[in-house]
Amino acid sequence: MNNDKVKQILTSNEMIVACIIIGLCIIIGIVNPMFVGQHTAINLSRAMLVTLIFAIAEMIVIVSGGIDVSFPAVACISLYATIKFMNANSIDSVLFAFAMSGGIGIVCGLLNAILVSKIKIPPLIATLGVSSLLNGITLAYLGAANISKIPDNVDSLSQQFIYTYTNEAGIKYALTVLILIPIVLYILAYVVLKYTMLGRGIYAIGGDKNAARIAGFNIIKIQFIVYMTAGFLAGIGGMTYTILMRQAGPQSLMGAEMMVIAAIVIGGTRITGGHGSVIGTLLGVTLIALVQNNLIMLGVPTHFQTFIVGFIIVVGTVITSIRVRYIDAKPKV
Amino acid sequence: MSEVFLKLDNIKKSFGGVHALKGVNLEVKLGEVHCLAGENGCGKSTLIKVISGVHDPTSGDIYIEGKKITKLTPIEAIKMGIQVIYQDFAIFPNLTVAENIAMNNALMTGTKTMNWKKARKIALEAMSRIGVSIDPDLLVERLSVANKQIVAICRAIINDAKMVILDEPTTALTSKEVDRLNEIIFNLRDKNIAVVIVNHKLDEIYQVAKQLTILRNGENVATGGIEEFDRGRFINCLTGRDIQEDFYRPEPSDQEVLKVENYTKKGMFENISFTLNKGDVLGITGLLGSGRSEIGDALFGLIAVESGNITLNDNPITINSIQEAIKNKIAYVPEDRLTQGLFLKRSIEDNTIAASIGKYLKNFKLDQHAMTEVTNMWIKKIGCVAASSQVPINTLSGGNAQKIVIAKWLNTNPSLIILNGPTVGVDIGAKADIHKILHDLAAEGVGVIVISDDLSEIIQNCNKIIVMEDGKIISNTDSSELDEEKLAKLLTGTVMAEGGVANE
Amino acid sequence: MDKVKGLVKEADKNILGLLIISICIIIVMGIIAPNTFLSVANFQSMGSQFPEFGILAFGMMLAMMSGGIDLSLVGIANLSGIICAVTMLAMDGSVVGMAAGIVVAIIVGMLCGATNGFLIGYLKIPPMLVTLCGLQLYTGIGVIITKGPAITGLPESFALITNGTLAFIPIPVIIFIIVVAVLWFIMKSTTYGKELVFMGSNSTASKYAGIDNLKVTMTTYILSGILGSIGGILIVSHYNSAKSDYGTSYTLLTLLIAVLGGTHPEGGKGKVMGVALAIIALQLVSSALNILKVSAFIKTAAWGFILIAVIVTTQLIESKKTTR
Repeated sequence: MNNDKVKQILTSNEMIVACIIIGLCIIIGIVNPMFVGQHTAINLSRAMLVTLIFAIAEMIVIVSGGIDVSFPAVACISLYATIKFMNANSIDSVLFAFAMSGGIGIVCGLLNAILVSKIKIPPLIATLGVSSLLNGITLAYLGAANISKIPDNVDSLSQQFIYTYTNEAGIKYALTVLILIPIVLYILAYVVLKYTMLGRGIYAIGGDKNAARIAGFNIIKIQFIVYMTAGFLAGIGGMTYTILMRQAGPQSLMGAEMMVIAAIVIGGTRITGGHGSVIGTLLGVTLIALVQNNLIMLGVPTHFQTFIVGFIIVVGTVITSIRVRYIDAKPKV
Repeated sequence: MSEVFLKLDNIKKSFGGVHALKGVNLEVKLGEVHCLAGENGCGKSTLIKVISGVHDPTSGDIYIEGKKITKLTPIEAIKMGIQVIYQDFAIFPNLTVAENIAMNNALMTGTKTMNWKKARKIALEAMSRIGVSIDPDLLVERLSVANKQIVAICRAIINDAKMVILDEPTTALTSKEVDRLNEIIFNLRDKNIAVVIVNHKLDEIYQVAKQLTILRNGENVATGGIEEFDRGRFINCLTGRDIQEDFYRPEPSDQEVLKVENYTKKGMFENISFTLNKGDVLGITGLLGSGRSEIGDALFGLIAVESGNITLNDNPITINSIQEAIKNKIAYVPEDRLTQGLFLKRSIEDNTIAASIGKYLKNFKLDQHAMTEVTNMWIKKIGCVAASSQVPINTLSGGNAQKIVIAKWLNTNPSLIILNGPTVGVDIGAKADIHKILHDLAAEGVGVIVISDDLSEIIQNCNKIIVMEDGKIISNTDSSELDEEKLAKLLTGTVMAEGGVANE
Repeated sequence: MDKVKGLVKEADKNILGLLIISICIIIVMGIIAPNTFLSVANFQSMGSQFPEFGILAFGMMLAMMSGGIDLSLVGIANLSGIICAVTMLAMDGSVVGMAAGIVVAIIVGMLCGATNGFLIGYLKIPPMLVTLCGLQLYTGIGVIITKGPAITGLPESFALITNGTLAFIPIPVIIFIIVVAVLWFIMKSTTYGKELVFMGSNSTASKYAGIDNLKVTMTTYILSGILGSIGGILIVSHYNSAKSDYGTSYTLLTLLIAVLGGTHPEGGKGKVMGVALAIIALQLVSSALNILKVSAFIKTAAWGFILIAVIVTTQLIESKKTTR
């Protein structure tokens, strides 16, 4: 009995991904000792910060049995409209920036929710359409040029650090205060998903919609909450990205969906819904970020990156899929 | 005398112009196992929905614990202690056992948080109440069908249920699992819970029920203690006909069609051997999990066997895939017509030619004309009632659709046709038509195997009967040596008449 | 006359709708801008544009009919295009080199499609995931070959594929017509066409009817891959260069066309003629917007809007039908 549980933990998806991450770190460390050190952790945190925000939102959508490929477009329209509006009206408040960006995100999420939940369009097609719609609107009506003038208070956030580290060579590495956003989000998501009826409802509708209806869950309400939350987090993620990069681009995040979905799937979330964990998502994002950022350290030329990341994603999804089938085929108790 | 929990008085329910219930009376007492039997379309499911508050009756009164209920809503019904366990259980495969059991409680009380400790406690309590134990932290998708059902039962009884309705609970259970379910049902009964079971298999009814109500065409035609029913009366009430005495007795022939020797797939069936001569219709029966369906699946290449020889019309053959089975002219009418047999949105024509498309390839081109023609030929020949060959198959009744599934296979000119549950959900008229088709095929020299748990179907339409248990043949005889009672006895190992083990 | 009536009755309402839309655009634009829109030059320029994404859209149609989706089409197109370009350059841009390039490109498309089909049909990984990964993988291989920038210096004559005409008809249109004819024949008159429809509408029942689902899935994605590579060749010829990120907007466009043409997102239903008409209707819209000097960005928004609007309408009509 106890042995079984230990075995279960050791063969869980999270454990496998964690081991791969550790193994990869060791390999990179051996090939290039430069890798070892606090600076790597700081760089990695910065690199995966925004992806983490998108990933947790996407994971929740996928767990509920849907998918949202519109979040890059939602993030872009939110961040771009907000910065443009703030510049035009000389508003300079961090709170306002996040509130407006998140608010626009919620409206976009509402549109997705209506299409998916009320009109019952397949989520992939609905959000793909919304993505194109929003992206077109952003470029046509808001502008196509990057804005590098970010309101001062908002911009200054990029220079606030919670931890700095200087190595022997005197190079300073600093961990941005923005890392607190994903940290708070992940703790919040963990608690909500595990310890509230809303969270369990999200898993329930992803597992069996019909059973959820009979049990008395309000499916439409849950789907609305899920897609609107995803929209909100896309807005927050977009603003975070703007501050981190110190400029607002109307297309800067387009194409991010690929990496995010891949990270989630590698983290053990089933694309068919009902299964997925916060920790798995964290590990999945970490793995992909680690590969993306450190291929150079292994001496891999830049133009090999897209392929190698793609290859790892394919291998990752194949392994997860085979694992799911293996579990399904195991004798039932 | 125990008290009456539920009383239905002259319940009528109509949908549009269709009268689903035409005046049903029912009385269920606490601490009593009451069986509800009836053929497909007799109004059983409508009745359950009225009791659980899903449907409002058009007229008639519902009394619960002596009080007249004016409007019963689903929530109200649950609050009154009425719980329904549906055939698909409506549980969440991706959640743990504990969560599944405790979920309804949390939803009922409207709590916003999830208390795992409490959930586990509730689950363990519920399981101990009915005397089972399943690891509460397991995901439900890892459970067997029987254990999933137990989870659903546990979930039903946590809220002080006073009446539990089980909708055809035994259809997916093996005989051992049925025994355990019966124990659980007795356990519920002893806790003074009223249990209503929907079932139309007499042998199983005898094992558990005390009271029996039979529905036919939306009316209850008979109600009474189980001891008042013998097989004859049961069948008569169920179908409105007497037991038929016309059995299938073909002309004996020495021409061997099929010979199966030592067919083995460990864990499913072992050392299966039988022969089939020209004119024979072979019936294979047994409880679920006895291996009856698996033999059909294996002969059609769905399951790869480990050893054994098959000789079809004097040619030794091997079957490792469906394609190979079809090449050897084996046809299979699967168990689940809707998901395995039909392309619901496609036309009758598409459904008819689906297994024989290759035949219509002429000069690298499909011959549309020939496909339509052959479909029309089958519609006529097989007695399918349809407006044209181009209407979608989901507009047809179950019986007509099943005829098309059979026509699909006949169009491949099979040497052997295996039918798994050929008349499930088929009305009486079409049933007779289908049986006639099978007898004609056998007379033409096609091997016919019928796999079924419908004993009267087997007895009347097969001249050879194999009974399976735990993957082995426990009886292989001529049907003239058997009657339904003997067959049922072989099947369950229990004595049927006079109630047997069931009551008190 | 009766024959016409029969034809109208038989034709999908969807196809009829598309036909009406196309005619309306031609009439309206003919009134607003008769000199530009109705000119031979405009029609010829349209003819050199739509086959590119139109042929890709047929790949999407096949995948959707099988119950899946192919998001990797653009990746396949670019990778085939790049390999086609590399082959031509390696053979000094001779005519033989061009032919070799085209053949190699189509082989590459087949291989990519076979990879997709294998992962979907054999390993049973959801098509959406497979083709999304495929897009990344094929694009990645493309980047490795080009090392980033576009491959240029292709033989002049290769550009003729898109620029050339045959009896006033642009060559891409001729290729397009051939593709339509071949697909129409495949869907209507081959066992594969029937099997695809059966598998798409109920894969369990098709398995039980003895249809080899793996084979049908492989064939579908290989065909889709071939169509992707033909699209890729046209793209290379159009830009007279090859790069790994050309035509990224085509993914949505092909999905839009497939749905607009009456392909059912859940599989089992699709019409070659419907999709062909959808392609033409969209090209007319696109050309009209160009002439009205509407920005390309609004077009992006319009595609998204049309996609949503079409599905919403069909969904609402269907739900009305079932409630009746």
